[in-house]
Amino acid sequence: MKRYMRLLALLAALTLVIAACGGSEEGGDTTEAEAPATTEAPAPDTTEGSTDTTEGSTDTTEVMVDGSDISVALVFDIGGRGDQSFNDAAARGFDEKLAEYGFEPVELQANTAGDDRDELLDLAASQGAALVIGNGFLFEDAVEANAEAYPETFFAITDAALADADFAPYDLPNVSELLFAEHEGSFLVGAAAALKSTTGKIGFIGGVAIPLIQKFEAGYRAGAEYINPDIEIVSNYLTQPPDFTGFTDPAKGAEAANAMYDGGADVVYHAAGGSGGGLFESAKAKSEEQGTQLWAIGVDSDQYLTASAELQPYILTSMLKRVDIAVASTIDDVINGSFTGGDRVFDLSVDGVGYSTTGGFVDDIAAQLDELKAMIIDGTIEVPSTLG
Amino acid sequence: MTISQEARPEAPQPKSLVKSFFTNRVFVSALIAMSLFSLIRILTGTAEMSSFQSWGAMLRLAVPILLAGLGGLYAERAGVVNIGLEGMMILGTWFAGYGAFAWGPWRGILFGMVGGLIGGALHALATVTFKIDHIVSGVAINIIGAGMGRFLSTVFYVGRTDAGVTQSPRMTGSVERFTVPILADVFKAMEDTDWFLIGDIGGILHGWTRNISWFTLLAFLLVPASIYLLWRTKFGLRLRSTGENPWAAESLGVRVYTYKWVAVLISGALAGMGGAYLVTEQAGLYREGMTGGRGFIGLAALIFGNWRPAGVATGAAIFGYGLTLQLRGESAAVRALLLFAGIGLLLYALWQFRSRGVNSLLSWIGGVLLIVAYFMVEEIPAEFIAMAPYVLTLIVISQAAGRLRMPAADGIPYRRGEAH
Repeated sequence: MKRYMRLLALLAALTLVIAACGGSEEGGDTTEAEAPATTEAPAPDTTEGSTDTTEGSTDTTEVMVDGSDISVALVFDIGGRGDQSFNDAAARGFDEKLAEYGFEPVELQANTAGDDRDELLDLAASQGAALVIGNGFLFEDAVEANAEAYPETFFAITDAALADADFAPYDLPNVSELLFAEHEGSFLVGAAAALKSTTGKIGFIGGVAIPLIQKFEAGYRAGAEYINPDIEIVSNYLTQPPDFTGFTDPAKGAEAANAMYDGGADVVYHAAGGSGGGLFESAKAKSEEQGTQLWAIGVDSDQYLTASAELQPYILTSMLKRVDIAVASTIDDVINGSFTGGDRVFDLSVDGVGYSTTGGFVDDIAAQLDELKAMIIDGTIEVPSTLG
Repeated sequence: MTISQEARPEAPQPKSLVKSFFTNRVFVSALIAMSLFSLIRILTGTAEMSSFQSWGAMLRLAVPILLAGLGGLYAERAGVVNIGLEGMMILGTWFAGYGAFAWGPWRGILFGMVGGLIGGALHALATVTFKIDHIVSGVAINIIGAGMGRFLSTVFYVGRTDAGVTQSPRMTGSVERFTVPILADVFKAMEDTDWFLIGDIGGILHGWTRNISWFTLLAFLLVPASIYLLWRTKFGLRLRSTGENPWAAESLGVRVYTYKWVAVLISGALAGMGGAYLVTEQAGLYREGMTGGRGFIGLAALIFGNWRPAGVATGAAIFGYGLTLQLRGESAAVRALLLFAGIGLLLYALWQFRSRGVNSLLSWIGGVLLIVAYFMVEEIPAEFIAMAPYVLTLIVISQAAGRLRMPAADGIPYRRGEAH
């Protein structure tokens, strides 16, 4: 019996080895075979195709055939599809282009520990994806390593620029770094906060004290101070790196917001991911306690749409970060053959960032905000991206 | 002081307990600490140190840690190490999120306890019935808890606009809050005087009597309830005996397996309740990762508190206060607390010097360093504020190492009929 078990174990181990060999061999073939096809073949067809889709449905089948030549991989970060935040935003852009081109979709998602990003990108690239998108700044190292290992494959990363060991930025020809001018969007909601505040005191809650989040604060401050130079701004970060739980801890978000509302702030903006739910709770509870209208400002997507009906009356607006536009336009580029490596900043001028109007609470100040937006686009106002 | 004395049937009656409370060393040192705290508040002019809102926040931030710590207490008093508290808490948050969304916050709390109970049952099955190493089982439960949260969300919430794989829909309604009539106003008047000691005590008590949720009260009542249950009843004596010497307990006819099972189930339910508190009192919904290690902090509070309910409550309060200072952005208060801790440590060193001589050297140095730091530093970096409660735990553990005493058979697998 015991011997039989050993034999079985040996057999199982052997199967694993064989399977592993098979996988890598297959992977090697496909990257070589498909990568050139993607850069050359689809380019002329799809430009034609994209105009066709608007005209008639008969031609779409042709487009589908063209698009299906290639595969595009979207690798989600921890939250995954359904997170109602930046992963869902990326998925929206992905789905839109999938319907348009009919490429072969590959969706992968980092595990909860977040330690398999490298392997997932490797998996997608080795299976011959023409474009591999790592969604989120935590993919930085993994994208860098894989872009060097698969020079024929196009990579894109949202929210991060590649940097070497000394933090000096550098580019790879096959990596597109999709960046957002969060400070510009934050400027607009900061202005909205200052216009709506009656106490002359507003607040900012950051999830984790990292430069990416401080960029939000810098823009928010600049916007509020542009409207009212005497405004008082309180800010707090829920955790310090490397503790990233500040993005997923609504209880902390609620208590930080409580302190700000207690202290006389009447508008609070958050850039704290999932912890922001606590801010909305706090806005409701403290409004009822103080008997005044207190406001909260959402982030990334239009949070009015996903909040429950009880919380909606407290969500003034949201700073929108259009990850969907960035993902969609990158897929366009790959299919049109116009992919270029390096930084790409999605700012106010391409509506890569903005503010939401759902709920109608900012309708009375929308004209002023749009005026500010125009001034930022034409360079009259320069928004700082770091805290001074 | 020692467990065996209090465990005797002729333990002191509650009446004498009250009497001894005022001559109690804990009470006296609390009074000294309070006076020092008040003095420093006045000297440094940091009013936020004792605003009633801060004390209210401290209460809310301490409860989840307290409940996790109490959960750990029941399990470890029965000899089962429970590092799976975090996982049980996560199960608690998920189930509470679902229950509160579907049927309101109170059923959410009940559901959260059931969620924690499931984790506890797994742990009991593994450690008590199958004698698996307690640490291995605990780690497994932490992983299972996180995984289950994601899995259940995928099953129940995908496709909703107000929820997804990482969060539940918002709860319907909320737990009612109350303000203690008359007393709250008396304490408010005390706080408003801003006098030495009176103002501070008023601030604390005002924060603890105004706008308190019934769930918070319930959680704090669990501390005296646990003291009574574990140290004043037959059930408690038997439960603790299985953690001290299960073989002796067995020889006296105690059904050790049953007691261990019950203890671990209570442990899970309490941890789940702690998770439910996060959902119903602060977040309003379940969010993946919302426990943020509070289960482990509860474990630290348990060790800090020398495996006793009141000690756990103290530990939870300290962690809660540290979080409060950090989240309310009171770096001025933290700076003032440096002075407080420095002088406190020097006083402690003085007391220590009488009994232990040279051993007090470390406390002298620490105290002087803290006071020097107070005068040197303009503003405390946020990293240090976040770190403070952990450092304090380390200090307490290192100072009291000789007197901390875990249950004798804690973590030792027990097999019936293996008496030795």
